[in-house]
Amino acid sequence: MRLLIVEDEPVLRTQLQQRFADAGFNVDVAVDGAEGLYSGSEFPIDVAVIDLGLPKLNGLELIRKLRATRKSFPILILTARSRWQDKVEGLQAGADDYVAKPFEFEELLARVQALLRRSGGWASATLKCGPVQLDTRQQSVTINDTAIELTTFEYRLLEHMMLRAGDVISKTELTDRLYEQDFERDSNTIEVFIARLRRKLDPDDTLKPIETLRGRGYRFCLPRDPV
Amino acid sequence: MSVAVALVAFFGVSIFTLDSLFRSLADRSLAELLDAQMLALIAAAEPDQEGGIGSGAANFEVRLQTPGSGLYAEIRQRDGISLWRSPSMAGTFLEFRSSLRPGERHLDFVTTGRGERLAVARRGISWDRAGHIPHQLVFTVASSMAAYDQQLQRFRRQLIGGFLAIGFLLVATLALLLRWVMSPLGRLEREIGAVEAGQSAALSGGYPRELDGVANNLNTLLESERRRIARYRDTLGNLAHSLKTPLAVIRTSLQGLGDRAAVIQTEAQRMTGIIEHHLRRAATSGGQAIVRTLVTVLPVCLELKSALRKVHRAKDLLIEIEVSPALQFLGDRDDLLELVGNLLDNACKWSRSRVRVSANLRSDPAPRNLQLLVEDDGAGIAAEQQERVLGRGQRADETVPGHGLGLAMVCDTVALYGGTIEISRSVLGGARVELHLPGRDAGAVSGAIIRPDRT
Repeated sequence: MRLLIVEDEPVLRTQLQQRFADAGFNVDVAVDGAEGLYSGSEFPIDVAVIDLGLPKLNGLELIRKLRATRKSFPILILTARSRWQDKVEGLQAGADDYVAKPFEFEELLARVQALLRRSGGWASATLKCGPVQLDTRQQSVTINDTAIELTTFEYRLLEHMMLRAGDVISKTELTDRLYEQDFERDSNTIEVFIARLRRKLDPDDTLKPIETLRGRGYRFCLPRDPV
Repeated sequence: MSVAVALVAFFGVSIFTLDSLFRSLADRSLAELLDAQMLALIAAAEPDQEGGIGSGAANFEVRLQTPGSGLYAEIRQRDGISLWRSPSMAGTFLEFRSSLRPGERHLDFVTTGRGERLAVARRGISWDRAGHIPHQLVFTVASSMAAYDQQLQRFRRQLIGGFLAIGFLLVATLALLLRWVMSPLGRLEREIGAVEAGQSAALSGGYPRELDGVANNLNTLLESERRRIARYRDTLGNLAHSLKTPLAVIRTSLQGLGDRAAVIQTEAQRMTGIIEHHLRRAATSGGQAIVRTLVTVLPVCLELKSALRKVHRAKDLLIEIEVSPALQFLGDRDDLLELVGNLLDNACKWSRSRVRVSANLRSDPAPRNLQLLVEDDGAGIAAEQQERVLGRGQRADETVPGHGLGLAMVCDTVALYGGTIEISRSVLGGARVELHLPGRDAGAVSGAIIRPDRT
């Protein structure tokens, strides 16, 4: 998942970057509104955490501009201004949720994950597609209630695909969102990871959870369980 | 009132002065009249055949001839022997005895047995007779005072009537004048009242020159005071906000550092609590009269509803707002937004699927007549928890944010408005938080009937 953090306070920005990276996110940072607008418009961002009091372009304006350019990824406002007037304005400008400073990182993380699930059309923290069950809080995966061991990268890949179960996701998109920005990009690597994931999820080759659409990408094709 | 007293005193003195002036004039003219009669009587006196004295005065004065006419004359010797009586004295039983020496004069007033008031003039005369000792005589002329009294009474009636008319006119004119002069003051008073009640922001213009300055000064004062309060709130707000980012940094840095960091973590949390409580409290206007306005409740609720639906989108909530568009909160819009925002957010968090906000105008006295209800269908708040949730019985700055229901702030704000807060169980099944705040019904004021809006 590719996360954009727009925060002008350097220490907090670095901390957030670190903690979100630890939680398995591919993190972009921006130090002011203008940079945030650039990153938000140019990169395939999945979710953004935006501070309201930003230099150059304030948070509200940034959100309005992103929404005006039809960027629909979920946005979470991180604000020291905890009055409802500010919250309401932020939500009206196009944000989806807010967290007031000071905050517990775990809460922020949970809210970001909830936003991601919601944007993928999931209501709860556990994503279920037939026998495959992925718990976003525990970062664990089970098949028919049997735990599956996955590496961090494999987990992130599966989470991304399951969040958007049913959608076709291109290799480029997966590369963009799962690798660090300056990572050596090689689309073959994705193929290798998909192959590994298939083996771990479906050793008998009966379930066929991931479909390859030649020239277009991949699709997690197990039907979502009704809520 | 004081004008009336002064007027009565002034009129009293005037009437008394004029009355005594008129009386002394009337007295003098009466005395002159009697004097003239006396001279005529003396001039017409002549000795008669029996050696006495008669008077021909009756011959030219008709009233002396007519009995009971009110004008009488008599000539007596000093020793009391009556020499001549005017025919008008017939049947009156009048006796004008006197022992005035020649040259003496006397004027007095008597009341006869029949109740007639008379002015009596007497004069002592020495009457020379050829070859005899001069007669010592007393001439008396008496005149009835009926005419005099009548005149005096007529004068008094006219005097008092005149003064009454003048007084009435004066008082009426004064009252009109005062009303005209005072009407801008009355308007000023009403407009200040309206500003106090939050119905208007400033005094209107168009006052007379004398008051225009006062009105302008008051407006300037109101404006500067409002700006001062706004600046004060901004400063405190900014202070609170600028403290929160470093606190967020501290708290994020400490996580995962183990026990030694726990103390710092606790202190950082306390500082957060202090900021939340004190700075927010100071930044809340709390309905200071000068910044009060009439805030229509419905738009605030609808704004919060759309914001919170977004935040709690995962829940598929039914948020009902049952608030008449005419209901107004008397206070600060931000404060209302905070109150309803916190309560509605809590309700959304704890509810299963249904939240209801309703408002009504009650007959409770002024600062508590607007009833705001926020209800949900969640688990509710147990009776023994309610006191704790409201933050009662503990130092407010020690409440840890996030642990309570954010109700401490609601309690603070409600208290600043002189309102009340109560928690009970809702018919929906969950918590029911009831606020009583100052408000009014614009529909009732304008007479319009507006039904509550169900959205």
